[in-house]
Amino acid sequence: MAPLPFELTPAIAALPFVSFLIALFVGAFAPRLLPKGGAVPGILATGGSLLLSLWVMLTVSGGETYHEYVTWVAGAGEATFDLHLGVLVDPLSAMMLVIVSLVAFLVHIFSLGYMNDEGETGLPRYYAGLGLFTASMLSFVFADNLLMAFMFFELVGLCSWLLIGFWFRDDAPPSAAKKAFLVTRFGDYFFLVGLVGVFATFGTSMFVGGEGEGAIQSFPHIAEQVLAGEGAAEVTTYLGLDPQAWFAVLGLLILGGVVGKSAQFPLHTWLPDAMEGPTPVSALIHAATMVAAGVYLVARIYGFYALLPQVLALIAFVGGFTALFAATMGVVKREIKQVLAYSTISQYGYMMLGLGAGGYVAATFHLMTHAFFKALLFLGAGSVIIAMHHNEDMWDMGGLKDRMPVTYYTFLSGSLALAGIVPFAGFWSKDEILYEALVHGLNTPLLLAAYVMGLLAVFFTGFYTFRMVALTFHGEPRSDTARNPHDVRWNVKGPLAVLGILAAVAGVVNMLPVQKVLGVKNIDFLHQWLDSGPEALSAHHYGELLHDFAHYSAGTIGSGVTTVLLGAGLSLALALAGAGLAWKLYAVPDPEEHTDKLGGAKTVLFNNYYQDEYQVWLAEGLTLPLARAADKFDQGVIDGVVNGVSSVSLFGGSRIRRVQTGVVSNYAFLLTASFVVLLVVIGLVGGWF
Amino acid sequence: MVPIEYYLLLSAAIFSIGVFGILTRRNALLFLMSVELLLNAANINLVAFSRFHGNLTGQTFSLFTLALAAAEVAVGIGIILVLYRNFKDVDVTEAATMRW
Repeated sequence: MAPLPFELTPAIAALPFVSFLIALFVGAFAPRLLPKGGAVPGILATGGSLLLSLWVMLTVSGGETYHEYVTWVAGAGEATFDLHLGVLVDPLSAMMLVIVSLVAFLVHIFSLGYMNDEGETGLPRYYAGLGLFTASMLSFVFADNLLMAFMFFELVGLCSWLLIGFWFRDDAPPSAAKKAFLVTRFGDYFFLVGLVGVFATFGTSMFVGGEGEGAIQSFPHIAEQVLAGEGAAEVTTYLGLDPQAWFAVLGLLILGGVVGKSAQFPLHTWLPDAMEGPTPVSALIHAATMVAAGVYLVARIYGFYALLPQVLALIAFVGGFTALFAATMGVVKREIKQVLAYSTISQYGYMMLGLGAGGYVAATFHLMTHAFFKALLFLGAGSVIIAMHHNEDMWDMGGLKDRMPVTYYTFLSGSLALAGIVPFAGFWSKDEILYEALVHGLNTPLLLAAYVMGLLAVFFTGFYTFRMVALTFHGEPRSDTARNPHDVRWNVKGPLAVLGILAAVAGVVNMLPVQKVLGVKNIDFLHQWLDSGPEALSAHHYGELLHDFAHYSAGTIGSGVTTVLLGAGLSLALALAGAGLAWKLYAVPDPEEHTDKLGGAKTVLFNNYYQDEYQVWLAEGLTLPLARAADKFDQGVIDGVVNGVSSVSLFGGSRIRRVQTGVVSNYAFLLTASFVVLLVVIGLVGGWF
Repeated sequence: MVPIEYYLLLSAAIFSIGVFGILTRRNALLFLMSVELLLNAANINLVAFSRFHGNLTGQTFSLFTLALAAAEVAVGIGIILVLYRNFKDVDVTEAATMRW
């Protein structure tokens, strides 16, 4: 019998699901019975999820983990497999459950201010979407196998479509929602193929194996045994590849879904458009649910990726490139939410860089701190947008510092975290990612290239963050609404305050540089946390896999301490340089658009490197004509042959049927004549004559 | 005793008359009569061979054939009756409306 909180784990996802059902059905049939348009059930449900998640986390910290599943499709015979639905609670999922339910809870409260107080219509639909979104993400987090994870991954995508397109009467939101849905679905297609491949190869998609003889093994574990050449594990490979290469193919296919959901280059184009949705939804999508799902999936099956050095290098390179690429675009944007959108892409690039560079703990750490500070920044931007009567252009703002101090100080805390200024949360996590990339990169050139891109992105991150802060809150107000902003209430300030504090202090859970330089023991709480739990899912085990299979080894510059200091000093200096430059240029009473001096480069950046244009060209200029040609081939050649056969038969039939005259004498004549001919033939052949 | 060839010749002659009738006549009643001739040509053969081999089985068979022919005539006349009701005539070439 498992401890009570573990038995209650499914309820963490079930509570928001119930709030979804309440908001949906009561909202549809008896809207008057629904207080605050469905916000109250949503807040109660996510609050309950948060408390349960905390309880689960507390139990996990006692060293216990939980894995239980039911078989919902049982295979028959030898060559088939069972499909399971299960709950896996280990340190990673327990931590993520707390993050997701906390952010969802705060977003629900914030929505009271952003949606209810602003007199939006269709609130039950909004809260139903939020409830389902939270429920799907929480189920995704505690899923114990790849199939279940995939199902909720898709549900998360559906909910993002519902919520981004919430204001469906306007032109832009439905289009943005469709784009988000289609682009992520393009990635998920590869994930689906990879999922089927995993089943066909390993016969199971479990993340963690059972104990004892004959229990189901996890697929990363089987892969590890096969590559090590030990154990009796049998796998089926395809395309004539050896296991190593085939596993890399599977890893890349699953990575397709990750790249789509976590908005990595080249499937990042949906994310900036997703800003068309309500701002609390953006906070939820970017901090804790949709976009986090991709990175979380890689962390969840890290035991598999750690075996594949080529895939890891690709993850790191794509991550580093995306970090730099998105950060440069954030520099020139006019709208506050656009800047944040590109910063999200960039920050998830860092997480991918961390995972690819062998920094499992570092990436998970950044996932956590980013969830706090990016939710904070989006909610802060939401507060600013309320104040500005839904004008999002930063060039119409300015001087909001004195008029909305709570928003300003919490937003500043989030910005310092995002820019990576010590001692805010983002500094510790980003620095650890860069440190991992650096030490492993010293022995791997590709990782070093990814590290350099990540390092450059730090400068741009500092620049666009403080450009945003300075333009929004400092200087003189540049419009009438900025001179006289709308008030915000407790339901906006409360979530901001909670997240503001977390963004400032969350770094203490893993102050690795302090431990390494000053020699203070045991302050790497997150390392210890992720090292507890099942051996096969521990950070320690992943480290061994990286060393044995991916041949990652850490280099140093001088001694270990100087490497740490150099890495941290370099990134901090770049962040400060970027932030300082932005401060100098924009924190003046009447700032100009200094980015105009970039000339043609600005146009390219402002148009997002023409990524949208080239993807539209791919769709309209390449895929559409190709589809047309295929259609023509189908209609002309394939259908032509089929139609030709049928018209030949029809024509032939219409001629041959004239034999049937209907006159009985003719039939009699034919009978007789045939009989005579038959007789003559038999006679000739039989030699009668 | 009359040799068997005579009987066979008689039978062949009657059969040929029957076939000629079927091929040339348009009147359904003459059709029916011609079919009777064909049947009886076969009967003559059965009886002749029965006598030639000294075995009564053939004659028994011809009795069955006679009974069958009677039944066939009943059906045939029924058909001719329907033909007449529908076409006001017993010309077999008229009844060609159900071909295609």
